Amino acid sequence: MDLKFRNKRISGILTVLPKRIVPFEEEMGDYNFPEKKSLRLKKVMGYNTHRIAAEGQCSSDFCIHGLQYLFDRSLLDKDSIDALLFVSQSPDYYLPPTSNLIQGHFGLKHDMICLDINQGCAGFEIGLIQAFMLLEQESINRVVLLNADVLSPKVSKHDRNSRPLMGDAASITIVDSCDNGEDILCSVNMDGTGAKAIMIPAGGFRIPSTPETAIEQEDVAGNSRSLNNLVMQGDDVFNFAQREVPPMILHLLERANLSANDIDWYMFHQPNKFMLNKLADAIGIPYEKMPSNIVENFGNASGVTVPTCITYNLGEKLTEHTYKMCMAGFGVGLTWSSILINVGKLNFNRIIDF
Amino acid sequence: MEKEQFISDLAEILDEEVVNESDVLADFEAWDSLTILSIISYAQQHFKKVLKNDDIRSLETVGDLFAFIENK
Repeated sequence: MDLKFRNKRISGILTVLPKRIVPFEEEMGDYNFPEKKSLRLKKVMGYNTHRIAAEGQCSSDFCIHGLQYLFDRSLLDKDSIDALLFVSQSPDYYLPPTSNLIQGHFGLKHDMICLDINQGCAGFEIGLIQAFMLLEQESINRVVLLNADVLSPKVSKHDRNSRPLMGDAASITIVDSCDNGEDILCSVNMDGTGAKAIMIPAGGFRIPSTPETAIEQEDVAGNSRSLNNLVMQGDDVFNFAQREVPPMILHLLERANLSANDIDWYMFHQPNKFMLNKLADAIGIPYEKMPSNIVENFGNASGVTVPTCITYNLGEKLTEHTYKMCMAGFGVGLTWSSILINVGKLNFNRIIDF
Repeated sequence: MEKEQFISDLAEILDEEVVNESDVLADFEAWDSLTILSIISYAQQHFKKVLKNDDIRSLETVGDLFAFIENK
């Protein structure tokens, strides 16, 4: 689906990462594979270190830490927040919404909307699109978009398929209305027939967690996990991304009358280096324009990878310069979405540890 | 694509000097989920064919793999 917005801008991005750095080698012994094979996987997929939350730390804790940081430094005015979006698949509770908990923690004004959105890999794009839609309202001038996931407790330590690429993180993106007259082109697509390609089977209402669902079983490839753990059909996800993402991007460029080379930065979701390079090849993008260094440094924290990619690779540069960016997310849902937007002159664009 | 070219590309994916049509896939030292993913990616790039893990795991030899991709 094609969407178009005007007169909205990103005015700041903060990424909040767990302090704990876990190297690939530290977990290699937990996998049921010879070391040599695991090291080959590390090289091809671009694994190295990832950031893992401390026990008990929830995704909302990272959001609260980041918001407090912004309030303390006068980078964000509490009273200016008209909408608070929390995009995550690791809420504190089934109910209440985590966005309401965060609002309550800071005593934000009542005259606002809090919204939890269940999205993963495309969570930054879906969150931004929701923010743009809210900003169409006269009474909404500023949306604070929280992307946060702490899913490491749900990934089996014996699952070499998913464990080495997981990361925990949060990001805070300030989205404002403005009068720059610039168009923002978006694309959003969903295919629920592939909904189970990435899932956590047990723990919801359909299959409640029981002692039985916690029992690990080995799959045909040699990975062990339980029904309480995240499971990913790697081949289906790979085939899906290669099939859907390149035509989506080419269509977006066509709508904007731009060629692939006119874009300064392709800030894509970061599943692994292998998949990103294959996507760059298929679209015809030089690797220098599509950073793929987030999994190797921090891990894949689903919807937080795109803001992490922007803060890590551009940092303070983005407070001075403006770039034409193409963002894209694809995965759990299945959902694939992309945004063409000018991003620059931000009030802040940085990473902090928690 | 010629069978010779496929076999030489497969040798590279498997990190072997040379592979033969009758070689059993599961006997290769590098045979694992990563190699299977590399084959999926290779088939998509060079044959425009979509393969699945289970398809590949059900095949026995290098020759079977080539025939499967060709006829898919």
